[in-house]
Amino acid sequence: MAEGNKTIVNEAVDLLLEESALKGSRFAERYPGRKAFGFFCSYWPEELVLAAGMEPLRLLPSPGNANPSELPAYSCSLVRGCLSMALQGGFKGLAGVGFAHTCDAMQCLGGIWEETMGLAGTLTVVPPVMLSGAGAGKFFENELSILLNKLGGIAGSSPGEEELSGALDLCEKIRRQVTELDGIRAKLPSDLVAAVMRAGQVMPRKEYSRALEAALPALKEGASDPGGRQRVLVTGAVLETDSLFRMIEDLGGRVVADDTCTGYHHYTGPTRPANKSPLEAIVSRYTGMAPCPCRNRGLDGRTDYLEDLAAGRKAGGAILVIRKYCDPHAWDAVTVAERLRGAGVKTLVLELEASEVAGQERTRLQAFLESL
Amino acid sequence: MTEKKRYKPLASSKYMEKTMTRYYALSQYHRFWGKPLRRPLAWVTSGAPVELLRAFKIHPVYPEQYGAICSTKKATEKLCQVAESAGYSQDLCSYARSHIGSILRPDLAPMGGLPRPDLLLCCNNICGTVLKWYEVVARLLNVPLLMLDTPYLPGEYEKHTKEYVLEQIHDMINFLEKFTGRRFDPKTLERHAGYSNEAVNLWKEIRELCRTTPSPLNGPDLFIQMAPIVVLRGTSPVVDYYRRLKQEVAQRVKEGTAAVDGENIRLVWDNIAIWSNLFSFTKMFTERKACFITDTYTGGWSMVLDPGDPIESLASAYTKVFLNRSPDFRARQLTELVRDYSADGFVMHSNRSCKPYSLVQEVIRRKVMKETGVPGLMVEADMADPRAYAEEPIRNRVQAFLETLGGI
Ligand code: SF4
Ligand code: SF4
Repeated sequence: MAEGNKTIVNEAVDLLLEESALKGSRFAERYPGRKAFGFFCSYWPEELVLAAGMEPLRLLPSPGNANPSELPAYSCSLVRGCLSMALQGGFKGLAGVGFAHTCDAMQCLGGIWEETMGLAGTLTVVPPVMLSGAGAGKFFENELSILLNKLGGIAGSSPGEEELSGALDLCEKIRRQVTELDGIRAKLPSDLVAAVMRAGQVMPRKEYSRALEAALPALKEGASDPGGRQRVLVTGAVLETDSLFRMIEDLGGRVVADDTCTGYHHYTGPTRPANKSPLEAIVSRYTGMAPCPCRNRGLDGRTDYLEDLAAGRKAGGAILVIRKYCDPHAWDAVTVAERLRGAGVKTLVLELEASEVAGQERTRLQAFLESL
Repeated sequence: MTEKKRYKPLASSKYMEKTMTRYYALSQYHRFWGKPLRRPLAWVTSGAPVELLRAFKIHPVYPEQYGAICSTKKATEKLCQVAESAGYSQDLCSYARSHIGSILRPDLAPMGGLPRPDLLLCCNNICGTVLKWYEVVARLLNVPLLMLDTPYLPGEYEKHTKEYVLEQIHDMINFLEKFTGRRFDPKTLERHAGYSNEAVNLWKEIRELCRTTPSPLNGPDLFIQMAPIVVLRGTSPVVDYYRRLKQEVAQRVKEGTAAVDGENIRLVWDNIAIWSNLFSFTKMFTERKACFITDTYTGGWSMVLDPGDPIESLASAYTKVFLNRSPDFRARQLTELVRDYSADGFVMHSNRSCKPYSLVQEVIRRKVMKETGVPGLMVEADMADPRAYAEEPIRNRVQAFLETLGGI
């Protein structure tokens, strides 16, 4: 842990950090009898998996550069890494794997998965691209209801309104707890917060909620004024390690606003509206979560969100992380950088092969943080 | 002899050039006639339901085709560099980069860039890139963006997908009525859809004539001859043009005229052409008497519209395009081409620009080889950016491949 932070000693925090580091790799052994269902993207509706009686488990690649022969080198390392792990038997024991259609790379990974790992248990859901477009909500609801049946088929259950409602309550509770953590993140080490948030995507949800409940008081107690640390916003896709956040800490920065897919972005979205069926509520949550570059909520949806986020958290700088060959984030980086710079937020576009940062990034990050 | 001369020209080509020149001249002078005739100009993606625009007398212009033109005119590299200095990564689609470059620096662009649009119509049936690309353009030029979301089809075209696409089309019609001040007339739409269908059928028949041995056309013919069906889809001149072309190709078949003299290897091509090196690349094959008798890309324009309600037919045809389908679907399609055209092998262009086309090619390649028993070669390049084309390694791979096929 970086200098200037209080050491937090707490069993629940330790459990969360351990789970986060394991990334679900010992799921079967730690949670015998539970069925894990793998997914990749924050648009994958976790509630449906829970309602069917399974545990959603976000699949993350191990660090390192994998080049499975099924994919060209110009695919992002997330899809290459995950496919490679799957081909080597790394995700054995899953009840199935779900693809939320988002970017071209995910679309292709879904297809390749069916071809290489088999069709059984491979499910795809296609969220609408124009989130507030004509017919989008109804279409999404239909997609979800078909998906729910398929998940029930895999789990051997017949989930209905009651199960969905229960799952929704649990997910909402978790989102509230994580939002509480997000509210004090400026006073906590950035890598610690990132790890705790990632844990919520790789461990059984009830256990996560319980652990977070137990950890929050200790985290609050351990929170301390960031002092002169440089306040930054980080946005980007999946970060399977805390390497970047740790380096930002080491260099005297603090991630005060996080819009990464494995970070707070994953927990954003409106709470359950009144007078809506559980399925409608799930539609409204996924269409209302923080905007993603793969979806459209008007031309300024994402830039407005990020500008407000930076302002609300008083971030003096923003780091836009782009995984090499990730088209959606590379596209958005130009507009987002321009907009944030225009709003007086210094912005660094950081292209990474995966989520690990090393010497070269250290120099750039250092210069960037010093310039704030 | 240059490859262009070696190349057996089609007499119809001069009519095609005329048709295309007329189209581009009309487009370039749109600022003079568009306003008085109340005919706005739209930039559209290649897979957008353009018949709808035609029904509202909107003039469509195709940035993707312009991307190909920039490449054949050797302008892609500098236009891409303009976009790259503006922050757009070199890993993004080169059609998009060169087009954005042409907006930022029209002085470097062929024809001084495309005429400015009043509207953008984007359909994501081909990729996710077009959404991002058109968002950028909408911001740069401050014009309305119409987006048709055609959900990816991992399996079949289902009822709720159909309803969703239909609802969007109806919404679009409402918008276009207000935007153009014209009332929607289903009969006009039907007329344009009818022209599309006629052209599509002719294009399909022309392509099918290449099942003959020797093939009357080679890959570059298909790529060049597809231009009118892309930009003039839904109009009558395009129907006239393909009638003429069909006659000429049928004549070649009747006379046994081969596109590649002494054709002894028949190949299927997968992915967009390598525009920057179209002729030099093809030469590696023609000099060994190998002919590209058909391909998956230009076949994308041979999808016939179903009879019945034209709006439903458009929704279905545009959602079901092959780039919006699973690798399994695409492998079946390629397998059929190999079989129906008696191909000896196939060549896949792993196109760095086009991820949805390319990322799944290896699994398709394996599947098709297994199904058909013919070999498939993968070459990595880019459809437009010459910087991604490495002649020597490609030549070596092509030579080795053709040798296994018995090419001399
Ligand atoms: S990192 Fe980017 S390209 Fe890769 S799966 Fe995620 S959004 Fe898609
Ligand atoms: S990514 Fe592919 S389909 Fe999309 S615009 Fe580029 S070349 Fe066309």
